[in-house]
Amino acid sequence: MSTAALIVTLGSIVLGALLALMMIPVLVWLERRIAGLIQDRVGPNRTNILGFRLGGVVQSFADVIKLVFKEEYYPGHIKTGRWLYIIAPAITFSAALLAFMVIPFADTVQFGGESLRIQPLPVDYGVLWYLAIGALGMIGIFFGGWLSHNKYSLLGTQRAGSMGLSYELPLGLAVVSMMLTYNTIDFNEMVRWQSGTVLGVVPAWGILVQPLAFIIFVVAIFAETNRAPFNVVEGESEIISGHMTEFSAMKFALYFMGEYIAMNSASAVVITMFLGGYQLPWLSTEMLNIHFGIVALALMAVLPLFLFVIIRWMRRNNSVRTTVSTDGGRDFETKVLTYALIGMGVVLELILGCFVFFGGGGTGTAIAVILLQIAVFVFKLMCFNIFFIVVRWTLPRFRFDQVQTLGWHYLLPLSLLNIFVTAIVIVGVGL
Amino acid sequence: MKIKVVKRYGTAFKDRLYIPAIIEGLKITAKHLFKNVNDIKSVDVLEYPEEQPRDISERYRGLHRLTHREDGSVRCVACFMCATACPSSCIFIEAVERTDGIDEKMPERFAIDLLECVFCGYCVEACPCDAIRMDTGIFSVIGSKREDFVMEKEQLLAQTGSFGDTFSRCHNAGEKQDD
Repeated sequence: MSTAALIVTLGSIVLGALLALMMIPVLVWLERRIAGLIQDRVGPNRTNILGFRLGGVVQSFADVIKLVFKEEYYPGHIKTGRWLYIIAPAITFSAALLAFMVIPFADTVQFGGESLRIQPLPVDYGVLWYLAIGALGMIGIFFGGWLSHNKYSLLGTQRAGSMGLSYELPLGLAVVSMMLTYNTIDFNEMVRWQSGTVLGVVPAWGILVQPLAFIIFVVAIFAETNRAPFNVVEGESEIISGHMTEFSAMKFALYFMGEYIAMNSASAVVITMFLGGYQLPWLSTEMLNIHFGIVALALMAVLPLFLFVIIRWMRRNNSVRTTVSTDGGRDFETKVLTYALIGMGVVLELILGCFVFFGGGGTGTAIAVILLQIAVFVFKLMCFNIFFIVVRWTLPRFRFDQVQTLGWHYLLPLSLLNIFVTAIVIVGVGL
Repeated sequence: MKIKVVKRYGTAFKDRLYIPAIIEGLKITAKHLFKNVNDIKSVDVLEYPEEQPRDISERYRGLHRLTHREDGSVRCVACFMCATACPSSCIFIEAVERTDGIDEKMPERFAIDLLECVFCGYCVEACPCDAIRMDTGIFSVIGSKREDFVMEKEQLLAQTGSFGDTFSRCHNAGEKQDD
């Protein structure tokens, strides 16, 4: 194994772990802030470190510290299978984490004759891995809920089981239709397929090629991740907290964080399969490599504008009302963050400027293209995560029988029909 | 018998598709989200510890107080009406004979356990001499132990009303009537 391969592998593993784990506090914070803003409230914005609130994201870290130091309580009535009860949250957590690890963050690169995947687990059967490992998370819910010896937990587990069963089918069938379209089970190949165009102008994203499969897949993935409007598994108003009822402290936190990682993985899969993954529309990796000078020039033009908008927004919103007498360090924080953003912008401009003046080609451009694609990936990931959150605070929860009806009576026939039509088109057109 | 037929919604094809309704809902939430992200200060909430409530009116049931007579002595005649009306039995009165000739009876001890109190205001309604009121406008009482929340007669007498009225409006028998 060459040095380049080692660096790329380690880099992707670190990036994958960071994207999955560091996204949790951000997502928890975003969930609470967006919920507040949608309901015309403010949300958590008070916690700070040395006066730095960062919009309140510090709150999530404070919550984690609280959960770590909480009392570990083991219900005394659990006599059998106690060890399984204790590791059940870890199963859900690690399944969700591992499912994320087959997502390509950038296109495969060629270094010294080797082709290296920017993927924490460099496998070429990513779709199957995601379906298999992602569904394993259900096992942790079964163990935890069943071994709790609690009727609410058992009801939640039963709901999770039947819902998983009824939504794995449309999910898998939607994936099958995408496999037929892309003619591969490799996530990276899927993204490469989507870098082309349809009819010459429209980017060949999965959502435009297969809109019905997109809808089915997104609905099924919402159900798979137990997010609203399909969060009947928790159903606070009916069964307290479902399988999590008997869990406390870090055991509960693992379930909780596992849910957010599962949501993050689901977003990653959706954007990889349907929204062009790490690709910018109309710009394939080859085009980026050849014409990186032009892309860098465009980025140089856009970056100051972007920073100007961000800083103006921050200066307007990161301050206290005039009716509140104490400033609490808002002005200082805004000033420091403004300088930090401007400094970052200047450094980026200089780097991009080098590419514009000294031209593209070579290893430097390849690395720059990888970083650009990672940035695009993270941006799309955040956008879809926010969509997940906004949907949760828009729709009320389905009743359990409605969930089943939707799954079996509508999604399953629709996904079968979609496969049928896809197959006919593929045979007819002879792709 | 007249039967009113209630029209059922949600059976039309458009409703059963779910998607148009979901998009409508998302539009509404996204509108609120973007409006508030763009201008967080327009969100009409109270930055609580710094901003205090602005809507405490004369009718607000806050911390109790005992009113005074014009000469500054306690108005209460220890009739036990409030303690009887109290649904949570949190008023403790020990009566004593009044020897200064102003009235016949007065409380030796008048205590309210705020941890038991449900702030229903029945004591104020029950009082025949306007001796107990809840017009202090105080909505948060802080203490470090349970005993701190038992308000004794002296503490209740020391509170002043937030809306003028220092003295009781009531006139018992034996006092000079205005009209």
